[in-house]
Amino acid sequence: MSGVYRYDGSFSGLLTVMARLLPQRTVPDAIGIDPPQQQSLFCEAIDVATDERLVEQFWPELIARLTPGCLHRIRQVFLADYPERELLICRYLLLAWEKGRGVAGMLAHPQVAPLWKLAQQVGHEAHRYLGFVRFQEVNGGFYYSAIAPDHRILPLIASHFAARFSDQQWVIHDQNHGEGIVYDLRQRHWLLLPMERHAKPDLTPDEEHFQQLWRSYFTTLAIDERQNLRLQQGKVPLKVRPWLVEFG
Amino acid sequence: MAVATEMMDKLKILAEGAKYDVSCSSSGSFRRNKDGIGNAASCGICHTWTSDGRCVSLLKVLMTNSCIFDCAYCVNRRSNDVQRVLLTPAEVAELTIGFYRRNYIEGLFLSTGVVRSPDYTMELLIEAVRTLREQYRFNGYIHLKLVPGADPLLVQQAGLLADRVSVNLELPTREGLALLAPDKSRDAVIGPMRQVNSLITINRAERKESRKVARFAPAGQSTQLIVGATKETDRQIVTLSEQLYQRMELKRVYYSAFIPVVADTRLPALPNSPLRREHRLYQADWLLRYYGFSAQELLDEERPNLETDLDPKTGWALRHLELFPVEINGADYEVLLRIPGIGVRSAQRIVRARRQGHLSMDDLAKLGVVLKRARYFITARGRYAGECAIDSTLLRSRLLETPAKKGAAQLELPFSRPQASDEAISLISGEL
Repeated sequence: MSGVYRYDGSFSGLLTVMARLLPQRTVPDAIGIDPPQQQSLFCEAIDVATDERLVEQFWPELIARLTPGCLHRIRQVFLADYPERELLICRYLLLAWEKGRGVAGMLAHPQVAPLWKLAQQVGHEAHRYLGFVRFQEVNGGFYYSAIAPDHRILPLIASHFAARFSDQQWVIHDQNHGEGIVYDLRQRHWLLLPMERHAKPDLTPDEEHFQQLWRSYFTTLAIDERQNLRLQQGKVPLKVRPWLVEFG
Repeated sequence: MAVATEMMDKLKILAEGAKYDVSCSSSGSFRRNKDGIGNAASCGICHTWTSDGRCVSLLKVLMTNSCIFDCAYCVNRRSNDVQRVLLTPAEVAELTIGFYRRNYIEGLFLSTGVVRSPDYTMELLIEAVRTLREQYRFNGYIHLKLVPGADPLLVQQAGLLADRVSVNLELPTREGLALLAPDKSRDAVIGPMRQVNSLITINRAERKESRKVARFAPAGQSTQLIVGATKETDRQIVTLSEQLYQRMELKRVYYSAFIPVVADTRLPALPNSPLRREHRLYQADWLLRYYGFSAQELLDEERPNLETDLDPKTGWALRHLELFPVEINGADYEVLLRIPGIGVRSAQRIVRARRQGHLSMDDLAKLGVVLKRARYFITARGRYAGECAIDSTLLRSRLLETPAKKGAAQLELPFSRPQASDEAISLISGEL
């Protein structure tokens, strides 16, 4: 049964849609938080309300049919900023229902390769941001970082920073997607919260000192005889530089 | 504010002195954060890249640039007239934590000039690291340089506090070392290296008995060679590296193309392409560590140097065309690894994907395998896509066609500023 499916944008919401669709063995025209208007001219959008009980039933089946690695890929693709991400997941799951755990290795299959590639992009970006986050010490006793990643990588990097900076309060703010992670020092856990797109932190005097030190250190490190700006730009794209102290 | 600028000056001078140490990795350690700050990521994380394209993951700094040694290639040598400064252990620790909290760095790389005696210097380094580990409860990555000639007890302490330790060989041969670094002896370098290796082996055995035993240098040890300052061939260098990997179980050997930072009559004139040579040596090094090649296969007495215009794996393949083409659906993993253009990731993906069915050329492209070079050396489902006969000279010219342009541009970069290199050459060759 083809059609256009609308859900609330949560992972449980998407799993609810999948739990409904998979038994029918068809790929819909579109799945989205707000599917394109034009398609609804020809077929009506079907709203799928998130059903936690259905998800609970569906989850064990999902784990049984997929390897942990594949499940992780699906999560990565879910966090991708890509219009057809839900369809990619849907096509992939259909194949998994048909072929079983073997899909884990069918890397060249047309229903697998695009998902794999997108997941890899998200994974790479998440890894890069383990390094590209720059905290600033803010009055009020916490560390603030603004980033603007292409994909919604915050849930993928949160636990890394929570383990590493467990003795300081910190916030990582994704200005592209209007959300952020807040780490609570007392409870020792992090939360993903919606945040305003712009914020101007009030920096401590110490902060300015360390930023200057870092900038001067960074400039000193370069060996002039080996200058290779093209290589540098490949590694640190221009779009991330506004958020990096050393390029400020 | 005066304190701030003083710190700025010191950091500049001491970073300047440490930047020629090329070791940059922050990988291989599993140290976990226990109620303090920081942990070590086993995959290593680069935090930024400098304008020469090298990654920055560690605060790489000298404790002091004063030195009682007089090595010809070194900026900090005794006879060089530069400003001498010193960071106290407390200052090193404070700086590291300040940078780390802001996520500028993945950890600390601490090296130093030798002051007073090797033991005294080593004690300074150890105190800085101990402050970090004990006072700040820092569990991030620390790479500590061992001072040649330091007491074995100090070497042991260093390994218990750091994630990786290293002592630089600097020059590939004993003769080279005697010529350019008369105060350093080969034995003073090899001694600690051998000690660290045996301590790591003992520690590994002890940890099998009890997990409570503290790790000793969990990320192993590395070393560095300066290439091109003396007359060693690539064969000598690659063979030395192979021995270091096999006998000393080193994690990494770094190669640093010699760039004259100080003029000295003992130093050679600048060779044509030191960076290209450095690049080829790294490629050969990778083949030793991850691709199952031996030094003997890559270089022999008749060809003691790596080719500049072809990577070492392609060069090897062209000398062994009787082994090609390889059928991608049947070959063992070890054989796949020997195909030019196919790396560890591609080989793993091929092995994984072909369990689900025979792969065609198109499938390979979908897996992300780059076929630019590989297609001349493989068949997929029996089909060959190289569009030319497998013939050594023919293939060589084809493989050289594309990369030549890009490589040349990249190579010229460092020397496209005539004032810098010409000056250096005339300075040195004039005296020679």
